[in-house]
Amino acid sequence: MSGVIFNIQRYSLHDGEGIRTVVFLKGCPLRCRWCCNPESQLPQPEISYVRQKCIGSAGCGFCAEACERGAVTFCTDGKAAIDRSKCDNCLRCAGNCPSKAIRAEGRSADADEILDTAEQDAVFYAKGGGLTVSGGEPIMQGDFLTELLQNARRRRLNAAMETCGFGDYAILRQAASLLDMVLYDIKSLDPGKHKLWTGQDNALILDNFSRLCADYPGLPKWVRTPVLPGFNDGELGAIRDFALSRPNVRWEALPYHSFGAGKYAALGREYGV
Amino acid sequence: MSNAAVLSAVLSPQELQLERGLQVQPSPGRQLALLEKSKTQKPVIDVERGLCFTQSFKETEGQPLILRWAKALLHYAKNASVYIDENQLIVGRAGKPGRYGILYPELDGNVLGEAVRRLPQREYSPFGISKEDAETIQERIAPYWQGKTYHEALAKALSPETFALTYNHDLSSRFIVNETSSFRSSIQWVHDYEIVLKKGFLGIREEAAEKLAALDPDSPVDNTEKRPFLQAVLLTGDAIILWAERHADLAEELAAAEADPVRRAELAQIAAVCRRVPAHPAENFREAVQSQWFVQMFSRIEQKTGTVISNGRMDQYLYPYYKKDKDAGVLTDEQAKELFECEWVAMSQFVDLYLSETGGAINEGYAHWEAVTVGGQTTDGRDAANELTYLLLKSKREFPLNYPDLAARVHVRSSRRYLYEVAETIKEGSGFPKLINDEEVVPLLLSKGAAFDEAYDYSVSGCSECRMPNRETYTSPCAYINFAAALEMTLYNGRMLKYGDEVIGLQTGELAQFASFEDFLDAFLRQQTYFLRHAFIQQHEIIRLRARHFATPLGSSLHKLCRESFLDLHQPHIPGGIDLGYFEYIGYGTVVDSLAAVKKNVYEEKRFTLPDLRTALEANFEGFEAMRQFQQNAPSYGNNDPYADEIARLLDLKALEFTQKYSRELGVRLDLRYVPFTSHVPFGKVVSATPNGRRAFSPLSDGSSASQGADLNGPTAVLLSNFETKNQGYNERASRLLNIKLSPACVKGEDGTEKLVRFIEGWRDLKLWHVQFNVLNRETLVKAQADPEKYRGLLVRIAGYSAYFTELTRDLQDDIIARTQHESL
Repeated sequence: MSGVIFNIQRYSLHDGEGIRTVVFLKGCPLRCRWCCNPESQLPQPEISYVRQKCIGSAGCGFCAEACERGAVTFCTDGKAAIDRSKCDNCLRCAGNCPSKAIRAEGRSADADEILDTAEQDAVFYAKGGGLTVSGGEPIMQGDFLTELLQNARRRRLNAAMETCGFGDYAILRQAASLLDMVLYDIKSLDPGKHKLWTGQDNALILDNFSRLCADYPGLPKWVRTPVLPGFNDGELGAIRDFALSRPNVRWEALPYHSFGAGKYAALGREYGV
Repeated sequence: MSNAAVLSAVLSPQELQLERGLQVQPSPGRQLALLEKSKTQKPVIDVERGLCFTQSFKETEGQPLILRWAKALLHYAKNASVYIDENQLIVGRAGKPGRYGILYPELDGNVLGEAVRRLPQREYSPFGISKEDAETIQERIAPYWQGKTYHEALAKALSPETFALTYNHDLSSRFIVNETSSFRSSIQWVHDYEIVLKKGFLGIREEAAEKLAALDPDSPVDNTEKRPFLQAVLLTGDAIILWAERHADLAEELAAAEADPVRRAELAQIAAVCRRVPAHPAENFREAVQSQWFVQMFSRIEQKTGTVISNGRMDQYLYPYYKKDKDAGVLTDEQAKELFECEWVAMSQFVDLYLSETGGAINEGYAHWEAVTVGGQTTDGRDAANELTYLLLKSKREFPLNYPDLAARVHVRSSRRYLYEVAETIKEGSGFPKLINDEEVVPLLLSKGAAFDEAYDYSVSGCSECRMPNRETYTSPCAYINFAAALEMTLYNGRMLKYGDEVIGLQTGELAQFASFEDFLDAFLRQQTYFLRHAFIQQHEIIRLRARHFATPLGSSLHKLCRESFLDLHQPHIPGGIDLGYFEYIGYGTVVDSLAAVKKNVYEEKRFTLPDLRTALEANFEGFEAMRQFQQNAPSYGNNDPYADEIARLLDLKALEFTQKYSRELGVRLDLRYVPFTSHVPFGKVVSATPNGRRAFSPLSDGSSASQGADLNGPTAVLLSNFETKNQGYNERASRLLNIKLSPACVKGEDGTEKLVRFIEGWRDLKLWHVQFNVLNRETLVKAQADPEKYRGLLVRIAGYSAYFTELTRDLQDDIIARTQHESL
């Protein structure tokens, strides 16, 4: 069975213990304003376009040739412009772009392919490294996630998962039974603010967290809080106390950064922070 | 969702220091004050060594070469100036105060006059020279050597085909099949310093005297071969002892005139030490350090051991003296560290001067590598780290100097403390230590004939090479081969754009003939083999001719097998020796990526034809940007992508097969290496645009690293590509030099150290030979380029050594900046 992923990133140092390979699953139920991976949000593959990398239509123009819907035109400076309303994400333009200015964000991949890649770095995993499943939100692709984690366990790969906690608890629970650790995002304890900044209420997230802690008290959990001025910087202590009231929990605040800002333009969207 | 916890603007300690304006603290101060004095000025040429050797060689014509060399050393020791720097504790320099280079006219006397005229202006590694000294060179040194140098003899010996790949008409290098024997008289070397510390030169001398007395007076061999050898050992001992005595005399003179009682006492002690060593065995740590330093410097005076005479395993051979003094309570760690740092400063002041532009270009940034080896294993295979190991690492962390070139040996039982201290030292930002892997080196040495104790006791030598003192005997410098040029000749049927219509390489056919990728690849491999053929022909002549032009009585005095066989180390074969030579594969990533891109876009995707591609290459991709982008974005080496790595492995295999077949004829193992120094820059300057999207005359890929910017999957993939492209069933291999640049954010804090250690352990378990890290911000480098004055002290890691970033040419700076930075986002 295959799932939709948007990246496999090796030599990741901040997504669990040790050196890890992170596979990013596509699709997320939240729409955090500060999200640094906006390409993670939609469940299906889509194109991104970085205008600076476009070399212009002179001697190129392969993107427009590939597009059957006339979504690609060229500006007066020769660079491509994409009319998103006409684009049906067939991705053919991306396959034809020499400079990778247009890229496909997302592709289908099966569990074995992902694990083969992760296993290549096994020599670096000694004493704690391994695979981290991230997203997007992995539990949105529940069956695929389960198969991925089952096979990871069979291969004796240390497995971690990053989750926002918003989803079906049955899937989360199933995943937890196959994990060596969980990285769990808690962004705010205030339901109103949470809804405003992420598009969803936090009740399910907090409830899932409590249930997970009750069902898997021995499973190491890193609770992480991205710090957003004006959103949650006033309640960090409370979040910390909430997280640390459970067993086997480590809490850390992640400073805000804007490395994702450029991606919004590439996807034809507005950056929310 | 995922949130990155990395801040890009973390500065390494070295960078912080620079940001604050490089305030070197005056206290505790001695070593730093010494350093500050010599750091900024342009190096100068000192003519005394060249002059003394010329004078002596005029007097000794016709005598056995080793004897002539020893007499020249004695002439130098009698007549050259000696110096004691203000504040210094460790003495012995071969030239004027400050940074200096010396002359080796026996190597390049034929081009000396012309080179001296051009020196101050040349782009690579400029030097200053006074008008008077320039005249001395042009009138009193250079004329004698015309027609006598090895360089001229070698050029005459080469066939037209080999010559065409080697030299331009003026004997400057073509940077194609580049010989390196004419700008240095030996490959990098390590002496057995321990014998000097244990026996002293009087002891070595005494043994030679006994052998001399025991020679058979009727034997022609004893009279004509052994006698000159033994006499040379005696004279060389006399020379170095005299040189030390003259330092003692000077120290006494200076002490008598010194007003400051503290310095007066120091000078008196210097005098006492120099009266004892290196004549006598060292009795304490101070004497051991001074004795070793005298040997190192005198070795520099003896010959150009290029690019380095290494310091060997200092934490091993100095340890007994350190331990004894520590136990006796007469030495503190601070004092030991001060002595080391006095030596480091002295080391930094000797600059490896290259008069030929070839040498200067290959070793840019005044490169010299007096490798100090730490860690590793003892002769019986136990972990060798001791207190002195940690003291040397500490000195490297705390003392802001790019000397010595510290090399840390790593093995599977290296202690946690050792690995952490090594990682912490790397994090300080100057790229030291480089790491050498016992798990690769030791088995290779064993398979080449070493005994276990010899293999465990190897020293790092030079850039990333290893030597077993007392067992290895091969000293002929070997070829650096520009395989990107072979690729160009495949595209232009034996020609290169830079050299016009001249057919230089093999005529492998017109492009239209290559119906499949296999055809094209086969043509390249024939070019590759053709280059190897001529490299090996060169080597044959080099080995033959060097023995007639160079001798090393000091090096031979310190080598057990030479003393036993009465043979100079530069002779082609020393009984009992293991002869390990090499050839360098330059431009590996460039070639592999080019072949992979041709396979992908020309033969598989059929986006364009080979003649189309050639048209674009001839135009340096001007007007063909789409094609350049397609090529650049094709699968490339350094990403753990089998598409490219399988091609890379085949090229490696074919080179191994060649050397396996023909090394025996040469009587030396020429092992495949990927160690560029800085040659990938000048080599790039002769190669026009390549099919991987590289623009004409820009740098080639370096060592076994990925092409600049081509490694997109992070550093673990770079290591794995290296692993996957090795043919491990062959032992005809040696160092693969590998540079990994990390931003400080990747190694920040205790957690960063931990992850760096794990990365190092992964590298070790993959059995890769070498790795070095460059922990810097790209922004820092860009700033340094814009404001060299502010960043003149900025150390940067290039191909096996650190240099001052702002002393490199713009090209090399750009090259370093272009290498992918492995930000962990």
